[in-house]
Amino acid sequence: MTSPADPGLQAERTSLAWRRTALSVAVGSLVGLRILPPQLGPLGYAVSALGLVWSLDLALTARRRYRDGSRVLRARDAMDGRAVVAPTLARTAGAAAVVALAALAFVVVVAGT
Amino acid sequence: MTAEEDDGPMAEDRGRFPRSVFEEGEDPDPRFSLANERTFLAWIRTGLAFVAAGVAVEALQLPLTAWLRATISVLLVLAGIAATAQAWLAWVRTERAMRRLAPLPSSGLKLPIALLLGLVGLAVVVGLLL
Repeated sequence: MTSPADPGLQAERTSLAWRRTALSVAVGSLVGLRILPPQLGPLGYAVSALGLVWSLDLALTARRRYRDGSRVLRARDAMDGRAVVAPTLARTAGAAAVVALAALAFVVVVAGT
Repeated sequence: MTAEEDDGPMAEDRGRFPRSVFEEGEDPDPRFSLANERTFLAWIRTGLAFVAAGVAVEALQLPLTAWLRATISVLLVLAGIAATAQAWLAWVRTERAMRRLAPLPSSGLKLPIALLLGLVGLAVVVGLLL
């Protein structure tokens, strides 16, 4: 099949969306490094470090999705790029859910003391 | 269409995770799938922002009455949880609808999220007046 009439920088935009997400997680983790240890002690450092690992995972996904995206858009019936994204999305949503639940526990505990 | 084609990549497609999305329909234009992926990420970032705001309210001990501060931060974190759920839910529903050429699904958890944020706003106003 021929290339789409208007690829519209889809691969670039998607990769940038992952990169934005990686950046927010990295910034959030660094802020966490400042504000969590006084309340949580060593656990605060551990949580922030895990956040940084997650942001690295997101940054690597940004690279991978750029390659997937450009490949899928070049050969429109080649679906290999899309075949692998759902597990990555599930992993991302899962990590965000863990962060959110941990935050709920933190907020409830701090409010209770 | 031959039998070989039926057992080819499409059959493999049907087994893809999550089944509820890929068991039916045809892959839409890749651009639409990529747009759906970006919307997912936008919801994830929105959820993270809510969670971060909720944690900050308690961690920085903003000068509010204790119960009000607790209420605001818990509501914000709950909104963050809802936004994260919305990210996955909306991605699944939208991808499924596009595969089946069905109308795109509407709100999902947007209303609960809006209500939570409305309550946060209300609590902030009360906090400023107290």
